[in-house]
Amino acid sequence: MPAIAFAQPWWLLALPLALLPWWRQGGEKSPCPALSWLEPDRASARLAWLWRLAGSGFLLALVLALAAPYLKEQKIARLGRGAHIVLTIDRSSSMNENFSGRYMGGLAKESKSAAARRLLLDFVNQRKQDLFSVVSFSTAPIHVLSLTQDHQAVKAAIAAIGLRGRGVTNIAPGLAMALEAFRNRPLTGARVILLVSDGGARIDPDTQERLRQGFQDLEVGLYWIYLRNRRSVSVLHPPERNLSETRAPELFLHRYFQTLQVPYQVFEADNPESLARAIATIGALENRPLRYFEIVPRQDISQTAFAIALLFAVPLLLWYALETGRWFRRG
Amino acid sequence: MDEFHYRVPWRSGSAHPGHHKSRAPGGGYEFHGHTSLLDAGDPRHLDIRASLSDPFGEFKVRQFLQTSIIPVMIVADLSASMAIASKPALLGRIAASIAYSAHRTGDPCGFAGIADGGRPELFHSPRRHRALGLTLARQIAAFRFHGGGPAPDIDPVSWLGHRRALVFLLSDFHFPLERLESILERLHPHDVVPVAVWLRAEWTPPRRWGLAHLQDPESGKRQTLLLHPGSGRRLASAFERRRGRIAALCRQYGRPPFFVVDSYQPEALSRYFLETCA
Repeated sequence: MPAIAFAQPWWLLALPLALLPWWRQGGEKSPCPALSWLEPDRASARLAWLWRLAGSGFLLALVLALAAPYLKEQKIARLGRGAHIVLTIDRSSSMNENFSGRYMGGLAKESKSAAARRLLLDFVNQRKQDLFSVVSFSTAPIHVLSLTQDHQAVKAAIAAIGLRGRGVTNIAPGLAMALEAFRNRPLTGARVILLVSDGGARIDPDTQERLRQGFQDLEVGLYWIYLRNRRSVSVLHPPERNLSETRAPELFLHRYFQTLQVPYQVFEADNPESLARAIATIGALENRPLRYFEIVPRQDISQTAFAIALLFAVPLLLWYALETGRWFRRG
Repeated sequence: MDEFHYRVPWRSGSAHPGHHKSRAPGGGYEFHGHTSLLDAGDPRHLDIRASLSDPFGEFKVRQFLQTSIIPVMIVADLSASMAIASKPALLGRIAASIAYSAHRTGDPCGFAGIADGGRPELFHSPRRHRALGLTLARQIAAFRFHGGGPAPDIDPVSWLGHRRALVFLLSDFHFPLERLESILERLHPHDVVPVAVWLRAEWTPPRRWGLAHLQDPESGKRQTLLLHPGSGRRLASAFERRRGRIAALCRQYGRPPFFVVDSYQPEALSRYFLETCA
């Protein structure tokens, strides 16, 4: 049972008004001397009692409604299937290009970021029970949203990422920030970082070590959706020669990820269709039982109180419509 | 002014000549017996046959009973319950009619209006008061009705005396029957004519459907009554039962009550006296 509090508790001082119907009864009273010996009419007495009850209830509900009651913020423990997913999304300027490597060109279909956004939105829509967090990064990471069940907020955050990107791809700080989302949280389900980027960057050994430590400590799985354009290197089918960390940082990043000793999978997406496939695969993979707390925000329930008051007001109106006024004409 | 004729089945004890049978010998038409001429000497009534048949040879004269007056007293309930609608006017009319009829009959008439407790607040001692009817109608119309009606311990002796009188008890009898019994008990030496003043509106709801907030003007007791097509019938039957109870009680004390509902017809009151004093 959620706790109820009042935004305007001073109104509660008017609560004794609810006793008013028991004290007096409005309406014009007709003198009836025979009342001293007439046997009381049971049905009428019951009706009068109901009137008092309705009047009391009406005033009570009205005063309570004016006091603006609300349900306090509450945590509800839920058990679902799914994962805690941190969407770590590249917002570097290269994301503005399409998959053929053109920048907003005439032949361009949709840009990589737009495709990613669309598919991520679908992904979020399909995974109702997952908790999502959003981190975007380019040169520096931006913390967009902590882990939340509020899919509306998540979708809004993803939609906002689709705007124009800028800067370079600097993966390490983004991953570090994504890992921070899990820190100091109980392990209640699968933890996944979904890295969406179109390239890699060199990570220096110190940082590599720190990230590895983070992934292992926090038991976070990693899925990398590599939005590859045709000219860049494939990490799944690397060329035999001419490999260097400056020319093909993605490949070295891939190799580093493979050393993390956590579940890792890379999806190479070189067109929107393969990106969709990659996301579908992830959707199928991470479906482990998930315990989480849903935070229900403070909820205004004065509307309910007003509705109850209205409910009580209807019989009162009926009552007043029935009132006959004076029994005797003035003699 | 409405006049009715009344008669009583008992003999007046008064020596004042009047309209009613009396115990006082005098110049009436009612043969009472023979007496010696020497005892009550009115030679005009000498009865020759009785004188001749008297073994002692006395002259016998016939003796007659005169007709005498009876005091008439109006005891009216001026409590708050009598203030509703046209009841005060009706009450004034009845009281005026009684006073006028008493005057026409030649009887002294008094009035005791009791609003609360035992002491009359509007009082005229029984005497020949030619304009009492007019005075009463005016005074009742101006009276502020209040209180809970005559107390059970009214003391009629203090304002009526011991001599038997014809008492009209005007009320709606909307008080406990025990109180009525006690009042009748107090008035018992007198010939009490209970006159119940009721209005048809009291048991006729103003609407077929509705809610009426009723309040007893005397006790302040409140009740809300749901009016439905059957409630008028129920009210009427309740009043009918009440009427029966009042009648039964009053009968024990000598006379059935006379009910005035809505309008007062003096002829009906005359007929009432004819029926009850046959």
